[in-house]
Amino acid sequence: MNSSKVLVVDDEDSIRRFLRVALASQTYTVFEAALGQEALSCVVEHKPDLVILDLGLPDIDGVEVTRLLREWTQIPIIILSVRGSESDKIAALDAGADDYLTKPFSVGELLARLRAALRRAAQTSSGPIFTINGLKVDLARRLVTIEDHEVQLTPNEYELLRLFVIHAGKVLTHRYLLREVWGAEYGDEFHMLHVNISNLRRKIEREPARPQFIITEPGVGYRLRIN
Amino acid sequence: MVSQEPRPSSNPLLIRQVRKLLRQGFNWRYYLLGLGFVLLATLLGYLVREFLAPTNIIMIYLLCVTVSAIFCGLGPSILVSILSVLAFDVFFVPPYLTFAVEDTQYIFTFIVLLLVGMTISYLTSRVRQQTEAARRREQELAALYALGQDLAIASDLQSYTVSIIQRIKETLGHDVIIFLPDIQSKAKLKVYNGGVDVSVDSNEFTAAARSFQNKKIIGHGTDTLASAGAKYLPLVTTRGAVGVMAVKKTDTASELTIEQERLLEAYADLAAVAIEGIQLADELRSAQILKATEKLQTALLNAISHDLRTPLVSVIGALSSLQEEGMGLNDTAKESLIQVAREEAERLNHLITNLLDESRLEAGAMRLSRQPSEIHDLVGSTLEQLGSRASTRSIKMDIPAEMPFISVDFGLIVQALVNVLDNALKYSPPDSPIEIKGRQVAQEVHIEIADRGIGIPEQDLPYIFDKFYRIKRPDNVTGTGLGLSISRGVVEAHGGRIEAENRVDGGTIIRVILPVGERLNHMEKLNE
Repeated sequence: MNSSKVLVVDDEDSIRRFLRVALASQTYTVFEAALGQEALSCVVEHKPDLVILDLGLPDIDGVEVTRLLREWTQIPIIILSVRGSESDKIAALDAGADDYLTKPFSVGELLARLRAALRRAAQTSSGPIFTINGLKVDLARRLVTIEDHEVQLTPNEYELLRLFVIHAGKVLTHRYLLREVWGAEYGDEFHMLHVNISNLRRKIEREPARPQFIITEPGVGYRLRIN
Repeated sequence: MVSQEPRPSSNPLLIRQVRKLLRQGFNWRYYLLGLGFVLLATLLGYLVREFLAPTNIIMIYLLCVTVSAIFCGLGPSILVSILSVLAFDVFFVPPYLTFAVEDTQYIFTFIVLLLVGMTISYLTSRVRQQTEAARRREQELAALYALGQDLAIASDLQSYTVSIIQRIKETLGHDVIIFLPDIQSKAKLKVYNGGVDVSVDSNEFTAAARSFQNKKIIGHGTDTLASAGAKYLPLVTTRGAVGVMAVKKTDTASELTIEQERLLEAYADLAAVAIEGIQLADELRSAQILKATEKLQTALLNAISHDLRTPLVSVIGALSSLQEEGMGLNDTAKESLIQVAREEAERLNHLITNLLDESRLEAGAMRLSRQPSEIHDLVGSTLEQLGSRASTRSIKMDIPAEMPFISVDFGLIVQALVNVLDNALKYSPPDSPIEIKGRQVAQEVHIEIADRGIGIPEQDLPYIFDKFYRIKRPDNVTGTGLGLSISRGVVEAHGGRIEAENRVDGGTIIRVILPVGERLNHMEKLNE
């Protein structure tokens, strides 16, 4: 029913093995690479629809692989990393990776992220209206409603929400959001970002301390939850 | 050149005196002063010659010799004695203004005058020298005492070397570099410069190493390596050489006298004993630390090998049952085995995460990447991390909308809160509520997590944040005794603290207290 091609890049044989079984059972076609160099040539050769990339590769660093791929392709990349290497994760996301998972992860979680990334990549231009759990964002009319009540947002809050909506489900790093909304010179003004996110949550979340829409990725950034 | 000579104490007195005279050099001022005294005596004698017999005028000359001996030293006063005899002859013994003598008995007067003058010169200068020597000894003793005092206060090698270097600089005016064997490789010497910037070239290292190996004074002013810029004194104790002291003359300082050389050697002895003392103490301490570490590691291994293996037993057991086809398991049984394997594997993951965090905290390797963080966000992410375990429980939140941002490592503080909340969930009945409260108290943020569990025995309260501490509980709650200890480590790394107390109406409150950075307060205002 689906025949998307997925490239799994990890130097651990056992991890590749269980991913192969899990993905094949979902009718994905699986390619494997144990090294960064192999991964790069495999992408050229087989043109997969998505790459699952381990950061700790023996030859080329996963962040570097991401950068090299992004020089010529927008193929979705999901990063696998171990806990505690937040800076590597951020580097990979800033280099253009779409999402990340911390090892160990459940296959259910991986499949959900994988489907979301494939869906985002397939969407050429979705309609101007985004709806989830009572939150409706009309990008054409710049109108945000929650349970049909209009929400007044400041221009920066709206801009943040717009970025979340067009990248729904994708992790957006602090630095990316700051650069997109305020400009490159504000890349380190984390406090400004956090204050605006906090205000935005108070306006759209039912319970700001247990957000349903804008999810914090500790130490990395935020993402808009889509399911 | 001085110390090339044999030790002064082994020399006859006279040779020492002559040497001393030579060493002091010809101090023209004293000789001129002596000459002046003779002139003055002659003038005085000339004025009173009408009233005094020539034999009495001799007294004026003797006075003159005595005064010279006191003020000018041995050499000048000998000259004064001779000049006095000549002047007396020329001016007061007829025929005047010639060296000729009419009355031959004056020859006897001359000889006696000369001998008495010489004797006075000699005796006076002896007294003078002894006084001076006593004064110098007193100074030496005071200097050594002062160094001894410094060393008694100093507690580490660094402050020891600083005091030694400063004392020598103060009393002798010479620069000192101390070389001590490297802690790692005993064969190599390391420079201790007392915090002063000095450059030490390889020649100096070689010289120091040579002095260290041979336990001999070498370098400037000795037979060995006389051309070196500094003098190298080995710091020797009964156990052997502990280091080397290089003493270098500064531009302003003069060459060391014999007494100063002796003082320097006394300094070296004192320094050697002191440095040996601290080295021995260091060795003892590291041996003790090693022993304590080994003991801790054994305890740790015992504790965790059990905790690590237990989940694996269930995982392997469950998976092998599933593989065993002959067992004829129905779907429900299979499902429950898979559930067990999954839960136990996750427990193992949690345990390993905690162990890694703990070891990173202990090694001081936890680097905080601080970011302004919101309390709501921290608590929300904590609940998010706990997933279904938190969402299936009734959790009451009481955090004011307006809370200051705190500058913390978001991920680590969330981890600390997860551990606290995890404990609260584990040790309270599933249908009881958990309360999370946030408050700002002065320049601090308090986050309280309160449960309605059975509480903590009063005597256990002070220890619950200690590593591997687990309260004896009747129920079958598993844990490693690491969670709260990690929470405390993380909170303290942020300059905060963590407290536990029992609630009067049952249950426990854990309070995480974190400081509000001043800069963030300021920014808060700017943003509003």
